[in-house]
Amino acid sequence: MKEQWRLLKTENITAAKNMAIDRAVLVANSEGFAPPTVRFFTWKPPAISIGYFQSLEEEVDLEVCKKLGVDYVRRITGGGAVFHDDELTYSIVIPETHPQIPINIMASYGRICGAIINGLGHLGIESYYKPINDIIADSRKISGNAQTRKLKTVLQHGTVLMDVDVEKMFSILKVPNEKIRDKLISDVKERVTSVKHVLGRDVSFSDAAEAMKTGFEEEFNVELVDSKLSEEELKLAENFEKDFFGSKEWNHRR
Amino acid sequence: MHSKSVYKIPNGKLLKISLDYTNNVISEIRIMGDFFAYPEEAIEIIEDELKNSALNRESLLNKINSVIKDNNIEFIGLNAEGLTDGIMMCLK
Repeated sequence: MKEQWRLLKTENITAAKNMAIDRAVLVANSEGFAPPTVRFFTWKPPAISIGYFQSLEEEVDLEVCKKLGVDYVRRITGGGAVFHDDELTYSIVIPETHPQIPINIMASYGRICGAIINGLGHLGIESYYKPINDIIADSRKISGNAQTRKLKTVLQHGTVLMDVDVEKMFSILKVPNEKIRDKLISDVKERVTSVKHVLGRDVSFSDAAEAMKTGFEEEFNVELVDSKLSEEELKLAENFEKDFFGSKEWNHRR
Repeated sequence: MHSKSVYKIPNGKLLKISLDYTNNVISEIRIMGDFFAYPEEAIEIIEDELKNSALNRESLLNKINSVIKDNNIEFIGLNAEGLTDGIMMCLK
């Protein structure tokens, strides 16, 4: 029988709650209360997440966020600022010692991205992993990924862009120099794509999640079983939301 | 003196340094950017360890290398050389 991992689908969740859930699952898995877990999720309201090492105020125009009703949060993972709007976001939590996970961090990025690449294949999109942390389709970035390792546990989360509004994204992200804003926007339009752009049609969250589910099952030779967060995880997530991801101290710490 | 630098690490990520220094000695440093470091909290150790260090390329590089080694830090998209260069760029 195939090894069973847990599958969570949580749509329309705030930025702070999404990051709190990822961390809660990481803690639960590290303590042996939760099996390896794959989650597919969306963000409501749309949100900017910044990498652990980034300065919030240098990267994000907080006034525009407020005006547009866009949330913001600092991740526990490194990497860059991401505007989460029309996308499927995934996360995977699994012990560092699991035989399916390479010990080498870069190798494990490639392995987990392999699941997303399989999933995109099921949507009819050919793609490949480009180190450090991107997936490329049609010569453009369609997915960005970030991994942390804490408590001997791997957490990797990443995006699959369903559609992208580069103008809106750049109204929220600060640019080093206003004079080059238009140039930056046109450059990013050249470098970023989405499921909708490649296929020429909209794909629903549930269809994309189904394709990604199969992608993970194939990559890791496991069965993903629909499930829910446990009471303990919900409680942990509530605490992480209050103490970290929903707090000014955390989000503004750099 | 307060100074900043933005440096694209060759084959790596974007590093942003915010530096306060007096008489060529670091009083405060913030290491920012879209790189990865494991464990993440180690960046704060590096920042603390660099306080009171002289702004000299060779001694900074040695210091950074020894902090990386002592704390088992793994960088992705950043390295000791790049970090040293980013700090030294604040002087220009």
